[in-house]
Amino acid sequence: MTDGATLEGWVPEIGPGLSLADVVDKAFDYRGNVTVVLTDGSEIEGYLFNRDADAPVPFVRVFDLSGGGPHTLSYREIRTIRFTGRDTAAGNSYAAWLRAKEAAKVADRAEKGSGSAPPRGA
Amino acid sequence: MSLPVSQMWAVASYVVRQKLAGRKRYPLVLMLEPLFRCNLACAGCGKIQYPAQILRKHLTVEQCLAAVEECGAPVVSIPGGEPLMYPDIGSLVKELIARRKYVYLCTNAILLKEKLAAGLFTPSKYFSFSVHLDGLREEHDEAVCRDGVYDQAVEGIKEALRRGFRVTTNSTLFDGASPLRVREFFDEMMDLGVEGMMISPGYSYSKAPDQEHFLRTQRAHDLFSQILSNPKRRWRFNQSPLFLQFLMGKQEFECTPWGNPTYNVFGWQRPCYLLQEGYAATFKDLLETTRWENYGRRSGNAKCRDCMVHCGYEPTAVNHTFGSWRGFRDTVAATVTGRF
Repeated sequence: MTDGATLEGWVPEIGPGLSLADVVDKAFDYRGNVTVVLTDGSEIEGYLFNRDADAPVPFVRVFDLSGGGPHTLSYREIRTIRFTGRDTAAGNSYAAWLRAKEAAKVADRAEKGSGSAPPRGA
Repeated sequence: MSLPVSQMWAVASYVVRQKLAGRKRYPLVLMLEPLFRCNLACAGCGKIQYPAQILRKHLTVEQCLAAVEECGAPVVSIPGGEPLMYPDIGSLVKELIARRKYVYLCTNAILLKEKLAAGLFTPSKYFSFSVHLDGLREEHDEAVCRDGVYDQAVEGIKEALRRGFRVTTNSTLFDGASPLRVREFFDEMMDLGVEGMMISPGYSYSKAPDQEHFLRTQRAHDLFSQILSNPKRRWRFNQSPLFLQFLMGKQEFECTPWGNPTYNVFGWQRPCYLLQEGYAATFKDLLETTRWENYGRRSGNAKCRDCMVHCGYEPTAVNHTFGSWRGFRDTVAATVTGRF
């Protein structure tokens, strides 16, 4: 996963070019909390961990912010889903670690090369 | 192979029973993930990227045991997350041993010495620590993105062996791995006295930070051929020799995604340990309603195309051993000669 590939902050507009099922699939694949906006105007914020579009009554399942649930919501109850939480899979920690490791090696070489560090116990 | 005879017998008789019962799909190893929380953040891992409330969650021992009963597999592997961070790990292992399940506790071993000293575990033929080591010190510390972890793991292994526990290692190999260094690593593990080693190529998790170093099929065959084509007699592997031949390109296998089913805080994961395409409420539901034809190399699914990971292909190898004379013959030959 590279920086910039995240859906974090996305507020999709369900319409002719974007179906609710598509948004649900993206929310299911998203590794952050989302806010499910229901047709009655209420909202549930949490982690959407499952969905079944082929069930007789298609549904999603959500653990809320306190870890409570799972809450089962039918597609019919959902108006849209906002991608409100931090994307925990975003970023590039491996590259960051490699950069830090390289920086440490450079610093180590510089220290040995300068001869400025006194020997231990001196 | 380095498996104890009792374990080989338990697995073999289980597989034969499934075949006699005419079961087309049956589990071999339950991958039981009691939590996702971990004390490392490895570059190749796509298992732990979740919001805080999910990382705080864990299964109860009762939920774990219900899943074990429901699944029926003779072997239970406990990965995670880091299972030594699971608060009830001692009682979970004890209960599984009481049920005569062969348990592999997959750990990075950072907490191993501490947990052993606390007396959480008792040695048993049913119980093995499977310590995650992706190579020698330099390679392993780089893979787990933290210096010093290799040394901690080795200390943990020594202590576990000293106390009489079974200890195995599990290693994921990525593109760029040096065959010579891997062979040195095998020597080092044998010198330590581990019972056996497990190796596998990594899987390109879509959520893993490092996407550049996963092995593609031909490169994987080349790498494993270089590592294993002239194996030392002293090397012991805790896995099917046919799977090792598959890694070398000497066996043509298809994936068995139901062979190592996964249960975690979300339920029964579809379709396998690596892909997350949904969750079933029951194991029966997982087996009966997953569209298995959509997975594996022959399906054309791009996510499966380059996968050679042991959770999908080791069950195929075991099934091949007990499903054909040729498979049985190849397994016996590799076991007796120590060559793949």
